[in-house]
Amino acid sequence: MRTLLALVVTFVIALVLGISSAWYMIDRGTPLTTTRVGPWSSWMSEANPNADLYTKAHLARSGRLPITSTTARYFTARTDSDGRDLTSACEYSIQGGALNARWWSIAVYDDQGSVIKNPSERYSFNSEDAIRHSDGTYRISLATHARPENWLPSGDGPEHKLMLMLRVYGPRETDANGIGQIPDDRLPKIERIACS
Amino acid sequence: MQLRIPVLFILLCLVLAGLIHIAAVLTLPTLAPKDAWDRLIPLGPANTMIAMPPASPGQSVLPMMGPDVRYAFCRFDLTDGPVRLKATVPDALWLIAFYTPKGENFYAVSGADMRRAQLDLIIATADQPVAEAGVDAPEEADQIVVVTSPVDKGVAVIRAPVVGPSRARRVEQALKGTSCAPHQNKPSEPQDQSAPSEPPTGAAN
Repeated sequence: MRTLLALVVTFVIALVLGISSAWYMIDRGTPLTTTRVGPWSSWMSEANPNADLYTKAHLARSGRLPITSTTARYFTARTDSDGRDLTSACEYSIQGGALNARWWSIAVYDDQGSVIKNPSERYSFNSEDAIRHSDGTYRISLATHARPENWLPSGDGPEHKLMLMLRVYGPRETDANGIGQIPDDRLPKIERIACS
Repeated sequence: MQLRIPVLFILLCLVLAGLIHIAAVLTLPTLAPKDAWDRLIPLGPANTMIAMPPASPGQSVLPMMGPDVRYAFCRFDLTDGPVRLKATVPDALWLIAFYTPKGENFYAVSGADMRRAQLDLIIATADQPVAEAGVDAPEEADQIVVVTSPVDKGVAVIRAPVVGPSRARRVEQALKGTSCAPHQNKPSEPQDQSAPSEPPTGAAN
């Protein structure tokens, strides 16, 4: 009887471990499949025909159609630079500088991957339309209410989680594997300013 | 004995967990809510260039589309022969990428890679001869680039970044000038045969 119970417990634990580890490695990625820099994570072999099974599963589940990392890089952030979840209840300052690429854009989404309704229909800032300082750096305010400079509205209504995506088209440097290189210190910082 | 049995269970647990992990990794993609290919099919027929409506709140053909990018796609079907894609690329930022139905990106070209504004591409499988096959690099093609597709069916996606809202219309207009149609092997000039059917989604403004 005790053996049977132990077997059942063993099986349940194995089930939980097996499925949760698979989910985590597909949804969030591990150092084998993703690079992480502060809050940003990027799948290195996304859309590559020779990608590993985790990356392929991730792509199928995402429903996206990304370009391989030679031509475009995609970085997503679900947290601020201190690791706290991004939420519409807080205001953030996103600060960064020029990237060695043809074009980049930072867009905000809800946790379903949809852009967020706002009166000014502003869903992103890119390398061409973000207001920059004389040294080439920029500052984007992710907030519910209007802010000076670059205001990226996070939407009103009930509190919701936020996701940022930095897409970089045409990185000018690639490594030996052909992966477009964006130096770590060039990725924007996401600083929490205040919460309501 | 007292010690060995828990060790045995732990080992069994780890082995089982490993097997379940592998099974989950293999089956999760097939349980995917809807991959990109499934989302594109309802928008219109194959071998036709279709503009995707720009991402708007609660509405986006694919998740996390760039709100400041305009997209057009052509689901190519090579079972009856090669397919030809033509575009006038107005700037260096345009990206044209080819995918298998699983989303594997087997070829991509950017506006900056091209010498001319006129993009003329023929997509063919390896066993479909296209005039003088073998021209694969843009720099050695006189006029036409031949892209060898590993699959009979796939999708080509054009991405056109938008600079400001006022420029959106211009980019959308430029995307309307692109075409995708079956390629006749005899010399001909299939001009403006691109959009015989209205994109059923209505290429929202």
